Amino acid sequence: MVVVEIPIGPQHPALHEPIMLKVRAEGEEVVEVSVNTGYNHRGVEKLLEKNSWVRGMYIADRVCGICNAVHMQTYVQGVEKLMDIEPPPRANYIRTLVMELERIHSHMLVVAVMAEVIGFDTLFMMIMRDRERVMYLKELVTGNRVHADIHMLGGVKRDIDEAKRDKILKELGVIEERIKHYKKVFETDYTIVKRLSEAGIIKRSEALRLSIVGPTLRASGIKSDVRSDDPYAAYPEVPFNVISRDEGDSWARMMVRLEEALESVNMVRYIVEKIPQGPAIPKAIPRAAKPGEVISRVEAPRGELLYHIISIGGANPYRVKIRTPSFLNILNTEKVYIGHRLADVPVIFVSYDPCISCTERVVVIDEKNGKKTYMSMRDLAKVRVE
Amino acid sequence: MGLERVKAIKYSPWVMHFNAGACNGCDIEVLAALTPFFDPERLGVKLAPNPRHADIIIVTGALNKKAAERLKRLYDQTPSPKFVIACGACAISGGVFSGSYPVFSRADSVVPVDVYVPGCPPRPEAVIYGIKKLLDKVG
Amino acid sequence: MEINVGRFVFKEVSPRRYVASVALSELREAVGAVVMEDSYFSALTAVDLPKDGKIELDYVFWSIKHRVALIIKVTVDRNNAVVPTVIDIVPGALGGELEAYDLMGVTFEGNNRLRRGFLAPEDMVEKGIYPLRKDSGV
Repeated sequence: MVVVEIPIGPQHPALHEPIMLKVRAEGEEVVEVSVNTGYNHRGVEKLLEKNSWVRGMYIADRVCGICNAVHMQTYVQGVEKLMDIEPPPRANYIRTLVMELERIHSHMLVVAVMAEVIGFDTLFMMIMRDRERVMYLKELVTGNRVHADIHMLGGVKRDIDEAKRDKILKELGVIEERIKHYKKVFETDYTIVKRLSEAGIIKRSEALRLSIVGPTLRASGIKSDVRSDDPYAAYPEVPFNVISRDEGDSWARMMVRLEEALESVNMVRYIVEKIPQGPAIPKAIPRAAKPGEVISRVEAPRGELLYHIISIGGANPYRVKIRTPSFLNILNTEKVYIGHRLADVPVIFVSYDPCISCTERVVVIDEKNGKKTYMSMRDLAKVRVE
Repeated sequence: MGLERVKAIKYSPWVMHFNAGACNGCDIEVLAALTPFFDPERLGVKLAPNPRHADIIIVTGALNKKAAERLKRLYDQTPSPKFVIACGACAISGGVFSGSYPVFSRADSVVPVDVYVPGCPPRPEAVIYGIKKLLDKVG
Repeated sequence: MEINVGRFVFKEVSPRRYVASVALSELREAVGAVVMEDSYFSALTAVDLPKDGKIELDYVFWSIKHRVALIIKVTVDRNNAVVPTVIDIVPGALGGELEAYDLMGVTFEGNNRLRRGFLAPEDMVEKGIYPLRKDSGV
């Protein structure tokens, strides 16, 4: 049988960071997948050593555009511990509000991308249209559509008022309805269920050894969520359910995200209605931290995000280690593809919600005659090898 | 002959997006710019399926060195006439990553750039405005 | 407060953070013991301490059983930074070891997937530079 090597990477027509997936297939069956990295390395950890604690917030925030508020939160809550600062409760609620809005937009984005990968262009466009409502809310609260930049050491930069609260509640109603609709589509559409079910099953017994995190972990039956196990910001007070499923396949991973998005809608509602009075914006910006070490953990939309921050006193950090959820989810799941069809590879990959997405262009090399053909991701998802 | 081909681009510019080490912020705004909400198709803008069909390359990111090699290759594969838009602070000057060891920091140090769209990230309207500016410049 | 994991004692350093410092020769045993507490490998931090001539490695695990982070600390000579691999015990540690090798120059014996250029750019690899070391000049 012909073994075909298919590099998938590194440029996508629409979004996400570049990565290269090398897929070796025998006929239609995947034999091996290896992940090639390095296209997105920006030297963030070294940059954080060279910049002050305050500037570090903005560098940390730009590690990821899609989940930027959680990066800032993880960094800021760690640094605040080193500086012995406790942000006021209202600031914690506002931080949580922004992070949950981010979760909603991020989950809608990956659901849209999954629709696109299996050929549902219209569904992709519709979800993106509805996602614009969430972007509007993000802009309303933080002043920006993408990079929230809402955190300050000791609080937040902006507050919300009654007018904003009313607008948020109004939009939430529509957003909630739309997400419920998409959830129903993913539950009942024959093609979606067929394509996603049983693709890339990760069993509960393997999940912990593979160090998968976030919705990917929770779809394999393990109820682990940093917001409830290791609470931070306003999560000790804002009620929510930890969503998990038992199937462990791509479908379950997408369903967990859709259900989580609905939980987040409820959380945002709770926050704007029950937010405590008091100050949110700090008066002074502290500059120096005490010597010490802190491990800060936050539940990003993709999973557990961890910052290990070490200080020897002074204006700059000594060492900052950032471990993103995708670093675990993408690198450790190479074996999951084996035995699947080629067309399942994009589906499984997107189901991990990679903050690094593979790309549109794929080169198919026929081992026999060395012929190269260019295929689009969408076409790869339809491949049938005779 | 050159003018005829340039006129064709003016009414139906096909755009290819390349992420050269970006945080995705610009990428999702470029993506949003290509959805009906912002309606780029009124300018004839469509996503090109591969570089051989592209007229405009939109570059985001601080030009990670490994990604920059691929960008160069992609640029060479794209048939003339071709244009480049550097989208976002990182592609223009490196943004917050300026000077970091694995990046080149400036898109124009790797490929010739025709239009710079500032922002971190620029709004989808700004991206479309950048494409329009390019079309005006070309026409 | 303390948590006993196998024969290792993890001491509380802050809420939900427990640390045990172990000798290099005990690393694999400690990791094996932690894994039995229903935990998953979360992160591997390599810290360059040139003043002490050492590199410190912090293996961070999250224990679902105890709902705490269990952190194993080992130190190694920075001029001979060789550590036994743990990817056979916890395959999830692969990325952490690859990164510590490429950016900090720690070799994990038994891990045959280590390679330069995993993250670091070509020019740094050619010059033999480990960017995260304090004396890398980068």
